This record gives sequence, C-alpha cells and structure tokens, in this order.
Amino acid sequence: MSFCLEQHLQQSEDYKILIKNTGFKEAKKVIEKHSPNKVYVKAGEKILGARIIGIPPIPIGINDSESKVTLPYTKPCHGTAVVELPLEKDEIDKIKSSAIKD
Amino acid sequence: MKKALILLGCPEAPSQTPLAVYTTYKLKEIGYDVTVASTPSAMKLLEVSDPEGVYVTSKVDIESCLENLKENEYDLLFGFVHKDAAAAYFVTFYHILNTKSVALVFEKDIDLLEKFIKDVQESTDSEIVSARAYHNPTPLRVKIDRYIKSLED
Repeated sequence: MSFCLEQHLQQSEDYKILIKNTGFKEAKKVIEKHSPNKVYVKAGEKILGARIIGIPPIPIGINDSESKVTLPYTKPCHGTAVVELPLEKDEIDKIKSSAIKD
Repeated sequence: MKKALILLGCPEAPSQTPLAVYTTYKLKEIGYDVTVASTPSAMKLLEVSDPEGVYVTSKVDIESCLENLKENEYDLLFGFVHKDAAAAYFVTFYHILNTKSVALVFEKDIDLLEKFIKDVQESTDSEIVSARAYHNPTPLRVKIDRYIKSLED
C-alpha cells in the first residue's frame, strides 16, 4: 500500500516538525538548509498521496543515509510547517522521479 | 455555461465572506456557473450568510477540491489572497488549472500586501486585483466590479 502523508501525520508520532506556522518562503529556506540533498517539484504535484502546496519550485529534502524526507505542509489557517519523516527507499525513489527535470 | 471557481482562504478576514457572496452573485449575473472552495469554517460562514443558498449554490471543501482538481476544469479561477498560505494555495490551484485567473489580494498591512502581490506575480501570470483592506469591503468591491465588467467586454 502506498504511503499516505495525511494519514501518517494524523495516526503516527513518527515525524518531526522543524518549523510551524510560518510563511512558505521561510519554510523553503529551512528545507534547503536542513537537507543534504534536495529535489524540486511543481506546485500541486502528488507527493505521498497528497498534492503539495506552495510557490514553485517546491523543495523536498532527501536524506538517503537516514532514509528521511523533509517537506512543506501548508494549511489555510495555519500557514506552512516543515515536516521530516522516515520513508521506505521505494517511496523516496518515487519522490525523486517526480522532480522537475533541469 | 462557463465555470468559475472562487477559492477562499482562512475566514479570519472579515470582508472575505460578504465579498465571496457578492462575487458569486456578480459572476452569475454574467453567466458563470460558480463553485466556492473553502475550509469547513469558511463554508459555515457562507451558509449562515446565505441560508437558503440564493447566491452560493455550489460549495466544495478546499482539500477535496484540490485533490481532484484537473487542468482546465474551470474557465476562471478567482482567489482570495490575504495570508501567506492563501497565496500558496492560489499559486497551486493556478498551476494545476492552467486557466484564466485573478487573485484578489488584500491586507491592512501595506508590507504584507506587497509581499502577497509579489508572491503571486513571481510565480503566475494571473491578473491581480488588490487593495489595502480588511474590515471594509468597499475598496475591493469597487475593484471586483471593475474586473467583472472587463470580463463582459
């Protein structure tokens, strides 16, 4: 079964919030600074079963050695948070395949 | 019939709900079939403002709308942008829909107003209707009238 971001954030505690209630550009900086590798995706791209919201190009941080990703999570009344969570390698590979090509 | 999607942000801006009802009315007057996408709390405000659904006849939850949204599903995207997250949502809807769009940008703080305008300008080719406004809907209503008149011409 595919990973579902919304479900994971609601039902698991296995994630870390790096910043919350912030603006999208600030969140973008946090991801870019925090992550050893990044991929960039289009606004509205389906990532982990949910459309990613933000101002493109949207960074997703990838930490292959720890098998973790860092991504923005935006809600209308709560601004943007940056969430880091563990993922299986095949889910990380799916994210990499959604990256905007140079 | 042409289809318009009105995208609402967080309902804490007092002028959002009356302007959403007003914009729905004005777009219907010129022949649009209008759907309003909003958070559940913004939807409750609409339901209390228009209890018999005289003006707002089609409403959809913003998250399920986003999930199922398809390119060119609407002929016009009309987004309310008064918070950073609202700009992010508008830009995202814009890029998925790839259709004629207008961002109604408003804020009482001039620096934030300029920031939201810049966020939309830098990442879309959308038209922007903006005013320094919060409680008073009149500056925006005047600009909405002008924009909707331009759609008729």
